[in-house]
Amino acid sequence: MSATSAGRPERAAVLCGTGGWLPRRKAGNDELADRLDTDDAWIRTRTGIRSRHFAAPEEATSDLAVEAGRRALANAGAETADAVVVATTTPDRTCPATAPLVAARLGLTGAAAFDVGAVCTGFVYALATGAGLITSGVASRVLVIGADVYSRIVDPEDRQNAVVFGDGAGAVVLRGGHASEPGAIGPFDLGSDGAHEDMITVAAGGSRLPADPARTSRAERHFVMRGKEVYRHAVARMAGSARTVLDHAGLGVEDVDRFVPHQANLRILRTVATDLGLPFDRCATHVETAGNTGAASIPLALADSHASRVLRPGDRVLLTAFGGGLTWGSCLLTWPSLPPTPEPSHHGEEPNP
Amino acid sequence: MTATYEQLVSILSTLHDAPADHFRPEATYADLDVDSLTMVEISIHIERHLGVTVEDSELVPDLTLGATAALIHTRLGA
Repeated sequence: MSATSAGRPERAAVLCGTGGWLPRRKAGNDELADRLDTDDAWIRTRTGIRSRHFAAPEEATSDLAVEAGRRALANAGAETADAVVVATTTPDRTCPATAPLVAARLGLTGAAAFDVGAVCTGFVYALATGAGLITSGVASRVLVIGADVYSRIVDPEDRQNAVVFGDGAGAVVLRGGHASEPGAIGPFDLGSDGAHEDMITVAAGGSRLPADPARTSRAERHFVMRGKEVYRHAVARMAGSARTVLDHAGLGVEDVDRFVPHQANLRILRTVATDLGLPFDRCATHVETAGNTGAASIPLALADSHASRVLRPGDRVLLTAFGGGLTWGSCLLTWPSLPPTPEPSHHGEEPNP
Repeated sequence: MTATYEQLVSILSTLHDAPADHFRPEATYADLDVDSLTMVEISIHIERHLGVTVEDSELVPDLTLGATAALIHTRLGA
């Protein structure tokens, strides 16, 4: 990594904690297959997904975010953070943001707290935002959470999406440090193309089209995704963004130890890895047991890979996401040495931090 | 034309798991049980390897492999 002309190491945001949380209720393919007139083999062949977790009716995005945030703070050995950024497409309420409530429930009242909306790319955008808060000197420790409860916006009768999406939350803690130390994050590549806002959308419920049941269709009030077009754009944008961030860092695909892409579905991940010339065994996959968890998918895959020790200190990690907007983004980091964290699906006693 | 058809079958065989003798010019994607995402992958690969754009709306389940090769062949201007 480069140093400033003064010879001092460049200030950077450093990842120093990870944690993930999946709600208790696990739903296998068979449970959904009956209702949706499909079967386990059909779902697995098309998506690679075997099961996903669903929030209980009384659980909201903040409930999942608090659990993931608590685990990430414990993993960082930190009791406080002076900023909380929550990436979500399913906030507890339209107003206010979910992050202030999450901060308060974690005992962080007074911290800067706001949401970032970039759909499935949200976590990468929130990570860039959190890193910016640190490098600009606005905050010294930032809790960055990706949390989504897609089961609230997906139509349970929608055969295409109901089998793909799951609920969950993942989080990381960032602190100030130097660009040369393990955990330092960056560079980033972020991008968007709003001409395709209809490709992944919940059309009603915003200022353009209020969710009046008398004036909107059922489809307009639920999450809609044009699968084939999304697939095509996702593959092109994820591979393109990954190459861009590697170019910025002066690195090649062979320098990537772990590729941690947004867990859209297994087939997209395979196609993107092939496109990049990256052996698939270097690709983190969490989608088989969690489904597509939106903004939570990358931090959940990080927590899961760390918990299972697939991710090792010193590994060069490439994060790449694609989502509604359209939005896309990538980031590089070196995985730091961190204490163990529970598996995101583990709900027993927490190990002492 | 034969070369184009063979290139198409070569792309298809890397993307879709079916016995080689099922890939016949008169077979449709529906006959081969090719799903919608694989159709998109086929079109991405045709674009990348043969330099020809085939729209998602053209690559439909009822299309035969022979007709796809003919479509590509025409676009290649050969």
